[in-house]
Amino acid sequence: MLCSQKTSLLVLIRATWLIPVWFTVNNYIRNEEWLKTFKGGAPKQREGQREAAAAATSQPVVSAREKQTGDHERTLKARKEEENPQKTMEMNGLKPVPDSYDYDLIVIGGGSGGLAAAKEAAKYEKKVMVLDFVMPTPQGSSWGLGGTCVNVGCIPKKLMHQAALLGQALQDSRKFGWQFTEEVKHNWMTMTESVQNYIGSLNWGYRVALRDKKVTYENAYGQFVGPHTIKATNKKGVEKLYTAERFIIATGERPRYLGIPGDKEYCISSDDLFSLPYCPGRTLVVGASYVALECAGFLAGLGLDVTVMVRSILLRGFDQDMANRIGEYMTEHGVKFIREFVPIKVERVKEGAPGILKVTAKSTTGNQIIEAEYNTVLLAIGRDPCTRKIGLDKVGVNINERTGKIPVNDEEQTNVPYIYAIGDILQDKLELTPVAIQAGRLLVQRLYAGATAKCDYVNVPTTVFTPLEYGACGYSEETAVEKFGEENIEVYHSHFWPLEWTVPSRDNNKCYAKIICNIQDNERVIGFHVLGPNAGEVTQGFAAAIKCGLTKEQLDSTVGIHPVCAEVFTTLSVTKRSGESTTVSGC
Amino acid sequence: MEGQPDGRPGPHQAPFEPRPAAAGTAGSARATAAARAAPGGASAAAAAMGWEERQVRGYPEFVRTAQSYHGRPIFALFCGDKDAEGRSWCPDCVTAEPIVRKELHNLPDDSVFIYCLVGDRAYWKDPNNEFRRNLKLTGVPTLLKYGTPQKLVEEECFKSELVRMLFTED
Repeated sequence: MLCSQKTSLLVLIRATWLIPVWFTVNNYIRNEEWLKTFKGGAPKQREGQREAAAAATSQPVVSAREKQTGDHERTLKARKEEENPQKTMEMNGLKPVPDSYDYDLIVIGGGSGGLAAAKEAAKYEKKVMVLDFVMPTPQGSSWGLGGTCVNVGCIPKKLMHQAALLGQALQDSRKFGWQFTEEVKHNWMTMTESVQNYIGSLNWGYRVALRDKKVTYENAYGQFVGPHTIKATNKKGVEKLYTAERFIIATGERPRYLGIPGDKEYCISSDDLFSLPYCPGRTLVVGASYVALECAGFLAGLGLDVTVMVRSILLRGFDQDMANRIGEYMTEHGVKFIREFVPIKVERVKEGAPGILKVTAKSTTGNQIIEAEYNTVLLAIGRDPCTRKIGLDKVGVNINERTGKIPVNDEEQTNVPYIYAIGDILQDKLELTPVAIQAGRLLVQRLYAGATAKCDYVNVPTTVFTPLEYGACGYSEETAVEKFGEENIEVYHSHFWPLEWTVPSRDNNKCYAKIICNIQDNERVIGFHVLGPNAGEVTQGFAAAIKCGLTKEQLDSTVGIHPVCAEVFTTLSVTKRSGESTTVSGC
Repeated sequence: MEGQPDGRPGPHQAPFEPRPAAAGTAGSARATAAARAAPGGASAAAAAMGWEERQVRGYPEFVRTAQSYHGRPIFALFCGDKDAEGRSWCPDCVTAEPIVRKELHNLPDDSVFIYCLVGDRAYWKDPNNEFRRNLKLTGVPTLLKYGTPQKLVEEECFKSELVRMLFTED
């Protein structure tokens, strides 16, 4: 044999080891089953990973003698690090794997909670989308981004409450020397336009803030259609699908209707009231919630003829002693109350803006039926969570079937680990804007910033903006008695007369202050209640003190500011237990 | 009246249609085209669709102009007066104007863009000037959608995303 031939032959012989390699490679690509019969078979790798790996690139897994000699580890790594793996896949004619979502977080609901959470998440450079959509009311009312508080809740309510207070102030002003001969009248349209204009600037402000922080906002109705997937339908009916790693449900609530003939056709709710394009006139408010009493209160303050129809008690869930005082004050100031009746029918007698409606009501204690006519009927009997039509069943999120509320753990997580919920829709939590905001922010900080702080739902202060405002923090008297026992609590109370009311001779001994102390715990203040002007401003500071563990002694050793209403809390001495009188005659 | 010294169309020139390419020079190209177009003879079609620009100075002229376009969407940019060289006393206005102009092609059909010089620095600083009192302006530059609460103030006008949002979204 020639030298060269020998070399070639040797090369050929040496090359034969490649044959099984070639075989292996070839057959792996065609028939994995066959490969498994080989001794040692395929390298020890996760099945799915191999398939995925093979599918992701066109390179085969090359094995020789049970040892993997080549793979596409580097390719896989590149895919993961690549900016848009989906695109590469699509380029290769392949469907994207499910662990690359459109968004890190989708927030359903652009209200107090939802927007706070979205803006917070954007701080941590997360890709966030907010879906917000308002289903128009039966009367056709709708509004912009911002949720209930901004559009049809706290904000317009407080502004209209202020409008009513200014009416009262105008009356008082004469006693302080202001002279005007014209009779003072109120123009509903002027007030409503100003209020709506301000709300419009808030809607716009939220949109600017979201856009500036690169949060995607869509005015579309979100519904779950499958795991990690949501369908967003805009007002033109156009549907889009989005996926996200996590979701926060913050869809809030809408007013409940009575379910009687004529309710949706002729009655309005708070959703309609603040943008009503005509003065409501003679109004019947149905309900005894704070919404009902606040609305009835400012409508009466603006000079309208107002009646409140109450099924049983006022302000269920609030301290009843305070609730009754609020009701008394409203009665003395011209609001009529029909107690223990419910409407059973609403009919329209005359069309118009407003028209005339006839309301038929039945007693809850007997068979008595009454009828009366009003220009407007405002329903304020409660609010229901918007959780029934958002596809929660498609993703298995539990809700309370009766109330529609969503139960969550103390980290606002639903039973589905990647779905969270905040705000008014939560079961057994307070329905307040600052609570939703706090919960949303802390949740996002826990998710993306490694924080651990949970939302503190204890000792949350609130204020009801009835004509005589009511601020509270902590236990009501009834709940304190129930929890600690009557003998273990001490209730200190007093009436007070705001200095500003003395000159115009306004209601003495109506304003009232009350604290509830836990005798067994150093007389710790566990309940704070104030009925009087600026109740919200008064309560805020005391809420901070209560959070710090305020005791009666500390309160007593705090020097009062004079002359202000709040100083009464630094000099409380009369207890309910003593039965002594709490009336005052000025300072 | 012919175009302004720097090539922008004058207040009474024929309206022109938006061009898809929004470059800084497009403005002057349009201005030249508009200047050459026969007054009033410029496409009636352009008057019916597209958007138009008006330039005004001072509050009374602004109000008159805005009222004359009642019924159409009106956008307005308020800037400090310009000197003979065409520079405004308001540095933020100098920054904002080209950014806003770049987005003008996004204006909805049939809308009007009013470019309004408010006055000199002393006038503007007066807390009682008519713009502050009646239009509730708090600063220049201000870009707003007339008759709505939608507006961008000062540095917000530097962000083309926000300007585009104001022009294109409800």
